[in-house]
Amino acid sequence: MSKPKLLLATQAIAKSYGPVTALRSVDLTVRGGEIHALLGANGAGKSTLVKILAGVQPADQGVLRVEGQIVRFRTPADALHAGIATVFQDPALIPDLTVAQNLHLSRIDRTHFRDGLGWFGLERLDLAALVRELPLETLRIVDLVRAVARQPHVLLLDELTAALTAEQAERVFALLRDWKKQGKSAVLITHRLAEVMHICDQATILRDGRNVAELAPANVTEHQLVEAMLGASLEPTSAASRSERPPGDTLLEVRGLTARHLVQEVSFAVRSGEILGLVALEGQGQERLFDLLSGNRQPTAGEIWVNGTRCHFRSPYDAVRRGVVLVPGDRVIALLPNQSVQHNLATPLFGKLTSWWRLPSNEGTQVQRTVEQLSIDTRAAAQVRRLSGGNQQKVVLGRWLVGGFRTLLCFDPTRGIDIQTKHEIYALLRKLAAQGAAIVLYTSELAEIGLVCDRVLVLHRGRIVDEQDARRATESSLLTAAHGLEAPV
Amino acid sequence: MKSSTARKQKNHTRQPQSWLAENPLVSLFVVFLALFLLTGAVQPNFLSINGVRNTLLQAAPLGILAAAQTALMLTGGIDLSVAMIATGAAYVAANQSPNGAGVALLAGTLVGLLIGSVNGVGVALFRVNPLIMTLAMSGILLGLFTAWTQTVLAGSTQMAPFIKLLGGGAWMGSVPYSVLVWGGVTLLVFWLFRRSGWGRLLYAIGDNERAVRLAGVRVWQVRLSAYMLSGMLAAIAGMLLGGRTGAVDLQLAGAFLLPSVAAAVIGGTSIFGGVGGYTGTILGALILSVLNSLLTFLNVGQAIQQMVYGSIVLALAWGYASLMRRSGS
Amino acid sequence: MTNRLAVPFHHPLLRTLWRNSWVLGVWLLLFGLLIWYSTLIPVFGPFQIASITKNSLPLVYLAIGQAIIVVAGGIDLSLGALLLLSNVVAARCMEGQPAGVVAAIGVALVAAMALLNAFTGLLIHRSGVPDIVVTLATSYIWSGLALWILPSPGGGTAPEMRWLFTGSPSGIGGSYWPPLLMILVPGMLVALWARNTRPGLTLYAAGSNRTAAQLAGLDVRRAKILAYALGGSMAAAAGLATVAITGTGDPRFAVGASATLNSVAAVVLGGIALTGGVGNLFSVVATGVTLIMLNPILIAMGVNSNNAQVLQGVLIAGVMMVGGLSTFLRERRS
Repeated sequence: MSKPKLLLATQAIAKSYGPVTALRSVDLTVRGGEIHALLGANGAGKSTLVKILAGVQPADQGVLRVEGQIVRFRTPADALHAGIATVFQDPALIPDLTVAQNLHLSRIDRTHFRDGLGWFGLERLDLAALVRELPLETLRIVDLVRAVARQPHVLLLDELTAALTAEQAERVFALLRDWKKQGKSAVLITHRLAEVMHICDQATILRDGRNVAELAPANVTEHQLVEAMLGASLEPTSAASRSERPPGDTLLEVRGLTARHLVQEVSFAVRSGEILGLVALEGQGQERLFDLLSGNRQPTAGEIWVNGTRCHFRSPYDAVRRGVVLVPGDRVIALLPNQSVQHNLATPLFGKLTSWWRLPSNEGTQVQRTVEQLSIDTRAAAQVRRLSGGNQQKVVLGRWLVGGFRTLLCFDPTRGIDIQTKHEIYALLRKLAAQGAAIVLYTSELAEIGLVCDRVLVLHRGRIVDEQDARRATESSLLTAAHGLEAPV
Repeated sequence: MKSSTARKQKNHTRQPQSWLAENPLVSLFVVFLALFLLTGAVQPNFLSINGVRNTLLQAAPLGILAAAQTALMLTGGIDLSVAMIATGAAYVAANQSPNGAGVALLAGTLVGLLIGSVNGVGVALFRVNPLIMTLAMSGILLGLFTAWTQTVLAGSTQMAPFIKLLGGGAWMGSVPYSVLVWGGVTLLVFWLFRRSGWGRLLYAIGDNERAVRLAGVRVWQVRLSAYMLSGMLAAIAGMLLGGRTGAVDLQLAGAFLLPSVAAAVIGGTSIFGGVGGYTGTILGALILSVLNSLLTFLNVGQAIQQMVYGSIVLALAWGYASLMRRSGS
Repeated sequence: MTNRLAVPFHHPLLRTLWRNSWVLGVWLLLFGLLIWYSTLIPVFGPFQIASITKNSLPLVYLAIGQAIIVVAGGIDLSLGALLLLSNVVAARCMEGQPAGVVAAIGVALVAAMALLNAFTGLLIHRSGVPDIVVTLATSYIWSGLALWILPSPGGGTAPEMRWLFTGSPSGIGGSYWPPLLMILVPGMLVALWARNTRPGLTLYAAGSNRTAAQLAGLDVRRAKILAYALGGSMAAAAGLATVAITGTGDPRFAVGASATLNSVAAVVLGGIALTGGVGNLFSVVATGVTLIMLNPILIAMGVNSNNAQVLQGVLIAGVMMVGGLSTFLRERRS
């Protein structure tokens, strides 16, 4: 059998943003009829490569070929015309228009589209609904179905499954298998190695802006993929060592916390020196629960007690003054993109009116200490937006090391972050707990629970349905509970 | 620190063009100097101590109004009512002039503070778009003061001698008092922007309000205080203007509204917030003042004046934007 | 499920009403004001209808133009200056000309202004300078140009032109049908076009989420230039209406500036978000007329007309405060 033809190829693609080089030289080849994984740690250049392939940004150097023809994309429309359709992390749908109007704009036939939705069990989706009224997972599927309906040669899927349920993800994989049978191909950008092993035929691995390996996942182990991404063999996964000290006083307690139907009668307590894990499937009310705990929104019922006193958080200000601070799921929310690392880290110092009049004299040393403690890469320190994702997440955490806190609420702090930074963050959380902080950690990666937490709560449809000892909890025991099922006796 | 050494190396290896991009204020100063010399070529008398003094005297009220505008633009806001606040404050100061200059100055400043607070409450607490809030305020003030000039403020057109001295007089016959006032405002603004926590928050809010809120800052307090400062600065500028002309009318500061925005924009302060500073605004105010003098000396008529003025503002804003783009930000 | 802003109604008709509640609201407000006004004055008849409609025409046209630009994610502070320019060119060229020539001049003006403002849109795109700054600068240029073309108020136009916008060849009295049609038809056409055609929806897309629109393969640059072109042509129409109503050209800078500000006020009251992408263009017709009507109402009530200005400001600020506060509370509670 002759080799299938090259659908998409890059040669020596390079791209810099000011002083920061994102891509040094990347060769990527995608053949017809293959599902191709694009892997790499954070800052390896995946997102930049996606932007270039999708026509969002031009490359500084290098050649891009589609079906052997050299192409130059100036806009995303050019990429679409060339037969490359991308599903971005943020769905490219217009929030203030209806789904039908979005389709009309993209010249997509409605009946055809409905068939596509049917594949995901969404045939009853109301096309007259405004995009902003629909949940994210639905939008990602709508975006995917639209991309498929454009009938491209190559589908670029950027972390598509991250917001989907396991069932929906399985439907996506089935769609992709069918897709490659038609001789078309797809490029998958993902952090979930299990998916790569499960569905991909080829994997290109990026590191420091270069392609360092091309492997067939069928021939290697997950461990080997990770090694290729990191460029070094991995430390055994015990980076986070637990302290043996028993937990201290209760720092944060909630009783019967309720917010409409989203959060119902949630009660728990976290003590000093303890890391309390929280596990839930997508959309079980965890976002709202964190909003309530951090003062971002108010509960409809229930009590929050900090250090044995009842508190009413009317805004994050009240929570922060009580030492309850939040590291949000989306780091962009907590960053000042155009300000320096120092200004970002020091922001919590100016919460009180009395701190407005001058700059604290020890600001510089405090910031410097945090930068060193977190080993933040300061090469692009003048503007935080030039930092890589992992470093940005460190800055978000570092704000509270400078600002000070008693209880830390972490919402999925390692989402979309490379393994090395993840381990650094685990170790940091354990260290903070050992120093007497109480930490509530929601995570979408179940493996983290056993590594970092002491206890774990499971949230299902807004209620706490289970509590387990994190040391004994397994991924399957957590997942069972997260689906609202009783553990088999 | 690592970052500073990295930047130094870059300056050595990069081309002068990108050095300019990293230091846009230098190019702005060159523009100012060129305009100044050009004006001197048209009117040789201009290139003298007197010429410099006149330029500064012209620029002082504009510079103060533009300081108000800069502070708000850093937060992503804007104040289209500065001109009416200035006029209103001047009226009240004139009204209170018979009671002494101190009372008059105090009353005028309080008016600015009050109106600024109302703007601030609307923007910070009621989340009204700043453009709309201050636009509506400007209309309200115009209506109120037009009505009041026929009633409670009737006849209040003459400023107290001390305010006239402040606006138009000179210290020891050489340094105009209004320039000294501007100098004081400049020091205050520099201290606020660079050496105070409040200044940090000003930039931070313009960059990402949510991040600041999550950091435990009550954002509305910062916004409200910024509008109060803006109102006060506008009042000071208005009283200086009133002092310079000696008499007050409803068109006193109207012509300064758009230049106050333009000065901040030319000086590199982003209208979306988070980026900029007062040094650039000062240069912007000086450039616009010299431009005004140049057009007056050329005696081209108001039509041509307006067209040239608009074209230069556009060209400078464009030049600045492309410089910033080249620096990779 | 992640809870977004929920829609309280699922029935298609109710939902359409709910989504267009702001448009309905401003039209109801206008009719309420009209009825109230009719009880305040001794005679309310065709004369009053004609007079209110024709006096509102320039602001309504300008507000429609502003609304198109705002929906596409921009804002144009030069529309008032373009109105001046169109007004003085028309007054200068149309005086003493036969109807055919006047019509040709009118059409040419609308086209020229569209081109001129399309160029402004292109400039904004190319320069990367914010809309508000570029149009602030061009507003000086256009009003300077207007002053240069017609240094002092004067000029005139053909009676047919006056009839078209005012319903009477002399600009006073006459039938109220021509101005009523001239005020309703353009707004309706533009609103339908924007909501139902691909170029129109592209304007909304560009203003709603520029990045998403670009990623979806839409030409955001073209959308913005188109919006500015349409805004320019509406400003030209406003200038023509002005010359038809007043019979002269008036190049004063302040006239243009206050027209611009009123257009922004009408747009905001019309429920069109300054952030772009949201709002029904037809509502600005009602808010434009409402803003103009405040003056005669206050005069009829025997209030000093300076207070109309105050009331206008209070109305704008008040509506925006209530709107802002209710969004805030809804976001926090739900």
